[in-house]
Amino acid sequence: MIRFEQVGKRYPNGHTGLVDVSFRVHRGEMVFVTGHSGAGKSTLLKLILALEKADAGKILLAGQDISEITHAQIPFLRRQIGVVFQNHRLLPDRSVFENVALPLQILGLSREQMTKRVHAALDKVGLLRKEKCLPQDISTGEQQRVGIARAVVHKPALLLADEPTGNLDPRLAAEIMGLFEDFHRAGTTVLVASHDLALIARMRHRLLTLQRGRIIGDGESG
Amino acid sequence: MSDKPQKIGQEAAAARPAKRGAKRDQHGWRETLRAYGRSHKASLHDSVGRLWAQPISTLLTWLVMGIALSLPMGMGLLLDSLEKLGGSWQRAAQISVFLELRLPEAESQALSLRIADMAHVADVELISREQALAEFQQQSGLGEALKELPENPLPALIVVTPKEVERAGLEALLSELQGLPGVAQAQLDLAWVERLAAMLSLGQRFVFGIALLLIAGLLLVVGNTIRLAIEGRRQEIEVIKLVGGTDGYVRRPFLYIGVLYGFGAGLIAWVLLAFGLSWLNDAVVRLAGLYQSDFALIGVPVEEGLLLMLGSVMLGYCGAWLAVGRHLRELEAQVQ
Ligand SMILES: Nc1ncnc2c1ncn2[C@@H]1O[C@H](COP(=O)(O)OP(=O)(O)OP(=O)(O)O)[C@@H](O)[C@H]1O
Ligand SMILES: [Mg+2]
Repeated sequence: MIRFEQVGKRYPNGHTGLVDVSFRVHRGEMVFVTGHSGAGKSTLLKLILALEKADAGKILLAGQDISEITHAQIPFLRRQIGVVFQNHRLLPDRSVFENVALPLQILGLSREQMTKRVHAALDKVGLLRKEKCLPQDISTGEQQRVGIARAVVHKPALLLADEPTGNLDPRLAAEIMGLFEDFHRAGTTVLVASHDLALIARMRHRLLTLQRGRIIGDGESG
Repeated sequence: MSDKPQKIGQEAAAARPAKRGAKRDQHGWRETLRAYGRSHKASLHDSVGRLWAQPISTLLTWLVMGIALSLPMGMGLLLDSLEKLGGSWQRAAQISVFLELRLPEAESQALSLRIADMAHVADVELISREQALAEFQQQSGLGEALKELPENPLPALIVVTPKEVERAGLEALLSELQGLPGVAQAQLDLAWVERLAAMLSLGQRFVFGIALLLIAGLLLVVGNTIRLAIEGRRQEIEVIKLVGGTDGYVRRPFLYIGVLYGFGAGLIAWVLLAFGLSWLNDAVVRLAGLYQSDFALIGVPVEEGLLLMLGSVMLGYCGAWLAVGRHLRELEAQVQ
């Protein structure tokens, strides 16, 4: 599903993002990426999303080489991926329903298809009752769950999350991780960047450890 | 709805009961088209909603654009009306060609036909010696007295209406007529004709210049308004790009806003012109009446009005396009 071959990324200001990173993630796998602040976790996810361009190596996503991707192809790449951010990035002036519907709107789905899918996604994160609320009127944990619903509403093959539990207390964080495990069990490939080692240790999944842009560990968590 | 993740392409195909081969391709093709249409409809709906949500600022933008558009358009229409007067101006530029006294009637006729065939001549009228005398008798009131003359003292006359009212052309025509055999003298009063022509061309230039300036101004107005709209929706644009919105998708609502601005402005300009010209016309007709003229302003012909709308919509679209193009590139650099 994901394949990095000797990928390097250096930012224009001289900071090192990644150095000679190679790994493979198979379809349906669930993988944690961890490491200290500045280790390159976000950089790794940004490269997959084509938010940044690698300056060395090759990145293959479902067989497609995204280091060679054209500007016009990027949106279609992103439509196959769901992303969850630490600060959820919900649009404040749109209801929960409309926020979750955004990726479907882009695809031009009909109203009824859209409603069906949004309801299904909200149901999975347990927020069906809050569909008419504005993001500011629900709790932080709920906001993050709406963000997850938006990431999965178009049923992406790959789900990426960058510090999805960063702002949450441990109980909520565990709940959110539980959601990712649900999607993993349903067949989605899941890649979660997090430095919450305590939380990761309680789940048995593959763990990639980064340090100053290099992979220094690849094994089972826990 | 299954929980299994799928690629989008597979999803669209799987959304309908599977049919075989070409039928299925056709479905995919139609669904893509339908999705495109729905996405446009949603963008338009969204843009109308946004303009509606800020009625005052929308109305102000429409008014600014509408007034700016109606100025050159109105002046252009006024000039058109004046050009309709052109008929009488051409008459003012008529050249009187006096023929030699002894020229036989048949030759006068032939000469008038020849002049009528000349390139810059719009119309000729032959006034024979008898007609000239009769006219003179009538106008001078000397009727009976003139009958006492042993011979008609008046030459035949050809009145030539030129096609253009422009000095060089008229003078060339004049000397050409002067040189024709059988012509005694050709006469033209150029001074005021020339003045009118000069004023007309000055007017046209002025309108053209104003139109250019105002069009540039309108592009800036639309561009700036759209720029503000983009600033206000920065976050939304970033998220849309993150979840797979194409540049076209991001651009679309702003282009619709530009088009809607143009449409409203065009309508307002049309209404302003219609009222403005009819208000002016009352005065013009009264004035023309004093000069025994039935001159009246043209008003806004429907074709011109439609053209105005089209131009205005295009202006809105272009202004929006320029603004979005620029700011998308700036945003692009910042999303990352
Ligand atoms: N846009 C950028 N421009 C320049 N340097 C950057 C940029 N983004 C990240 N970096 C640098 O690249 C390195 C890796 O950053 P990255 O954001 O990938 O780390 P991270 O593991 O996600 O850290 P954190 O846990 O704090 O989120 C850091 O040294 C950082 O300063
Ligand atoms: Mg990070």
